[in-house]
Amino acid sequence: MTYQVLALTVKELKVLWRDREALVLLFAMPLFFIVVMSWALQGVYEAGTRDRPVRVLVVNRDRGDRAAEVLSDLKGLEGLLWVEAVEGNPLTLERAESLVRKGRFPLALHFQEGFSDAFQPAPPGPSPEETPAVLVADPGLNRPLLSSVRGSVLGAIQRRLWSARLGPLAAGLDPGGGEAGTGMLGVRLLSRFEDRRRPTAAEQHVPAYTIFGVFFIVLTLASGLLRERQEGTFRRILTAPMTRATLLVGKLVPYYLVNLVQIGLMFAVGVLLFGVRPGSVPALVVVSLALAASANGMGLLVAALGRTEAQVNGFSVLLAVALSALGGMMVPSFVMPPGLRLLSRFTPHAWALEGYHDAMIRGLGLRDVLPESAVLLGFAVLFFAFALWWFRFDR
Amino acid sequence: MTAAATPPAIALEALVKEYPGGTRAVREISMEILEGEFFGLLGPNGAGKTTSIHMLTGLSEPTSGEVRIQGVSMASRPLEAKSRLGFVPQEFAFYPSLSALDNLRFFGSLYGLRGERLERRVREALEISALGRRSRGPVSTFSNGMMRRLNVAVGLVHEPRVLILDEPTVGVDAQNRRALHETLERLNRQGVTVLYTTHQMEEAQRLCRRVAIMDRGRILHADTPEALVRRFGEGLVRVELKSPLPTEARERLARLDSVQGLDGSGRIWHLKAREPERAVQDVLALAGVREAGVLGLNILEPNLESVFIHVTGRRLRDPGEGAPAPLAEENG
Repeated sequence: MTYQVLALTVKELKVLWRDREALVLLFAMPLFFIVVMSWALQGVYEAGTRDRPVRVLVVNRDRGDRAAEVLSDLKGLEGLLWVEAVEGNPLTLERAESLVRKGRFPLALHFQEGFSDAFQPAPPGPSPEETPAVLVADPGLNRPLLSSVRGSVLGAIQRRLWSARLGPLAAGLDPGGGEAGTGMLGVRLLSRFEDRRRPTAAEQHVPAYTIFGVFFIVLTLASGLLRERQEGTFRRILTAPMTRATLLVGKLVPYYLVNLVQIGLMFAVGVLLFGVRPGSVPALVVVSLALAASANGMGLLVAALGRTEAQVNGFSVLLAVALSALGGMMVPSFVMPPGLRLLSRFTPHAWALEGYHDAMIRGLGLRDVLPESAVLLGFAVLFFAFALWWFRFDR
Repeated sequence: MTAAATPPAIALEALVKEYPGGTRAVREISMEILEGEFFGLLGPNGAGKTTSIHMLTGLSEPTSGEVRIQGVSMASRPLEAKSRLGFVPQEFAFYPSLSALDNLRFFGSLYGLRGERLERRVREALEISALGRRSRGPVSTFSNGMMRRLNVAVGLVHEPRVLILDEPTVGVDAQNRRALHETLERLNRQGVTVLYTTHQMEEAQRLCRRVAIMDRGRILHADTPEALVRRFGEGLVRVELKSPLPTEARERLARLDSVQGLDGSGRIWHLKAREPERAVQDVLALAGVREAGVLGLNILEPNLESVFIHVTGRRLRDPGEGAPAPLAEENG
């Protein structure tokens, strides 16, 4: 029996050794995850620390001194970096909002003109429409980080409010937990949706995990193509009066449709079970069509490159999961280090998520998602071009 | 149109296939298979049969030369040429998770069959393959013989006038092989041209009106089995020894007047002789052979197997004892 076990072991090692690409994937995949996820998740675990401060834009339009005092206190806090000028120019509200919209900064703190006046006891009358200070946030920002920054700013405002109202008596008192001053700071998400409505967890997760799932078609498509190639059905089909292009299109169309049904189903679940607002449906459709094209292109590319089942499975899972992580499906890209954030722009996932967020969370329309859709189609063209270069029906 | 004007069912003109790196799998073969013929292409593994089949079914492009199916060029009008062909590969090339019915419908539709015509042809193909009772179950539950029959049925579903079968009886038991032979003979009687590749000499001799012997990328001879046997298959003697023949004894054996050619190695040898009875006596009288110990000495029945040994210098199926040596030069 020992000899048989030994013989089997040796044979299996030889088989593995001869499929070196698959062997490399076995080692490369966990290594890749360790590197990418650790690097990407630095943002989650270390965002808001001294080493990785959260950069917040400041627009100070206060006629008095209170905003400057609050800001001075805030500057003493660890893990938050207050940016009052960009490229040497003081910030206007429009400029700050534009920078947040573009994703260059996650947050902006806007002190209104009457911020100092709000420190006086409120005269009887109607409440002002907007709070004296507003935290303007990207709706895609993760909630714990937003709450943390909001808490810090509110704490600083409350401290100054107590100090103004109680004078020296306030020294040493902790304003935390008190109700006073809570109306001084509001949060506004950059969306056409009504103010104060924040994206729900489902609105964050439905597009992200839909994209994650869409790219699993790579595994199904590539292994299907490999099987047909190995079992000789491609060869047999090609003896029929049809071109190779027809065969390939006929093979890809069902997977493309499966992707579209998959996307439709995921969004339907989001809408029906979790009340997700789809935003602009035409915009969603355009992004989805382009997304499915790029996923199918990647599937064909993997089928072209993989020569064994192990290789195809390894490549597919590596791409589906690793690119999802890199593209911001598991970790929002704004918490990634700048290098990784830049790298994420080279994944179709990041562009698809951006397109979906534009439509669903930022309330933008069809024209606004055209750039993301164009990039996704660009990925599709690139994948298809490489795949068709390498693909063989009978290898 | 007169019969003389009918183009051959398959015509290969100076067909060459050279792979990158310079390997020549097919070396300028030319032949014609006439309408209604049952033609056998014989050769051992690596002879170039499958490469030739791939070129004539349009699966791969020849490096040079031309393929015509019923006069239609595979190079310039591939879709029309392919529509006239039915192909049965050696491997089971269909979808095991689908039923026989679904497989036949799918492959039939690739040839443009629709509606009632498709259904009729599917029924006929199921009837031919005797799979009617199991037509709706997944093919993965079929026995090997049933799968083999379905493999053939898929090649027939579109009613081709030219049917190409690449070693269709590999791994098939005697009963299923006989059933397949009967089916092919019936189709051939109905006018279907059959090109059949095999390395089973017995079935080639039984089925084929003409055969071509292919080896190392070349067609060596093409004729009726009877003519080939008459020309090359007679006068072959098989010698089986107890122990391998020493080199010196082998040289003496080859020099015998009665021996025209010598093939073999180790304990098994084949002699080509004009007068086999005389060669048997000479061999028995040879000292080196007697010392090696004669287990058997037979004058082989003239058939395609002996033809193949003569024209290629080796047997079609893998020999039991190492690679055979080519036949020695004929002694005049």
